[in-house]
Amino acid sequence: MPETKRRRRSLFDLISDYVEDFELLSEEMERGFAERPSWDTRSCCIEPLCSVFIAADEVVVTADLPNTDSEKIEVEQVDKDTLEIRAEMKRKVSFEEFGITHRKGEFSFFRCQTRIPVAVDAKRMKTQFKRGILEVHLPRKKGYRIKVE
Amino acid sequence: MSEPVRIVERKPVLSNATMLHGLPDVGLVGLIATSHIISQLQMGEIAYVDSELLPPVVVLHEGLPYAPLRIFGNKGLIATLSEAAIPAKAVPPIMRKLVEWGQAKKVKLMVSMGGMPVQDRQDIAEPKVYGAASNQLLLKTLSDKGIEILRGGFMVGPYALIMRYCAERNVPAIALLAQSFYNYPDPEAAAATIREFSKITGLNFDVSKLVEGGEQIRLRARDVMKRTEQELNRMKKTQEYDLPLYV
Repeated sequence: MPETKRRRRSLFDLISDYVEDFELLSEEMERGFAERPSWDTRSCCIEPLCSVFIAADEVVVTADLPNTDSEKIEVEQVDKDTLEIRAEMKRKVSFEEFGITHRKGEFSFFRCQTRIPVAVDAKRMKTQFKRGILEVHLPRKKGYRIKVE
Repeated sequence: MSEPVRIVERKPVLSNATMLHGLPDVGLVGLIATSHIISQLQMGEIAYVDSELLPPVVVLHEGLPYAPLRIFGNKGLIATLSEAAIPAKAVPPIMRKLVEWGQAKKVKLMVSMGGMPVQDRQDIAEPKVYGAASNQLLLKTLSDKGIEILRGGFMVGPYALIMRYCAERNVPAIALLAQSFYNYPDPEAAAATIREFSKITGLNFDVSKLVEGGEQIRLRARDVMKRTEQELNRMKKTQEYDLPLYV
């Protein structure tokens, strides 16, 4: 690089580079640990899209479950901070329907496990299923109140 | 040094066309809608976007490799379609290039179709479509067609940048944004945007496949949606929920 174009790098540039490197590294770690197919041919399961929303009074878990009926859905707290959603599909789907011919397998179920990051009272869990979206409401466990003086 | 983003033309490009954008965003609304229009009008590939900022991916169709971000054309329409999520860092240079290219091809209108995430989307039978435009005249056109205008707030992501670059360059542009899910594919919202697009262009499309075949689309679109959500998080897409400081 010509001498005239060389620029002294400020402390902020260095911090910004450091933060960027750190973000890249954490993304790589995330990919290394979490990236896997969204399907499993051995268990004939597809992992549905799922999200967790933490509100002041409750945790709301939603999952996109197309090709399913409400009576075929099961929701279970498998341990104190993990919720499992299972659903049988109305009809089996195969890789071929997705335009994939080099893999073989059929899928009959949705299954996912999601971590609930705060304490909830699973006995008071309520569910609803509308437009193919499952919504699970889990009331949060209360701690104690501090009187404001 | 090579350009960070190149548009490689494979066939002659129509001038004075309407240019549609089907890019991965909330609910994959624009992607699903544009893909449906491309299929209904049997639009063929006329160009593709080449960039080192995009992941090393090709999409195979009937055994042949294609770029994930392609441009289609037919019957006075040009449509961009990305079959893979666009990395957040690549969004600004790619959107700028698409707008520059569209302007060079003398497009008469740029149309972004997308989603506007709402809570309780599952309680909405018919998603409402809101409009935004790059100039006053187009805002009036949208209002005259009965489309409610987004008067305030933030837009974040590819469509926000297309709108900004078009306004800077005096390229007429509108955005049609349907109430949608944030991170679940939403074919019903895509159908709603197509209905409004028809009102503006006079082109008619059968959207029954999107509504009746929605479950199949949602199954197929899961993986693209998941990767798109990761990029939306990097773009701080949730800033769209923020209240603006000035009114």
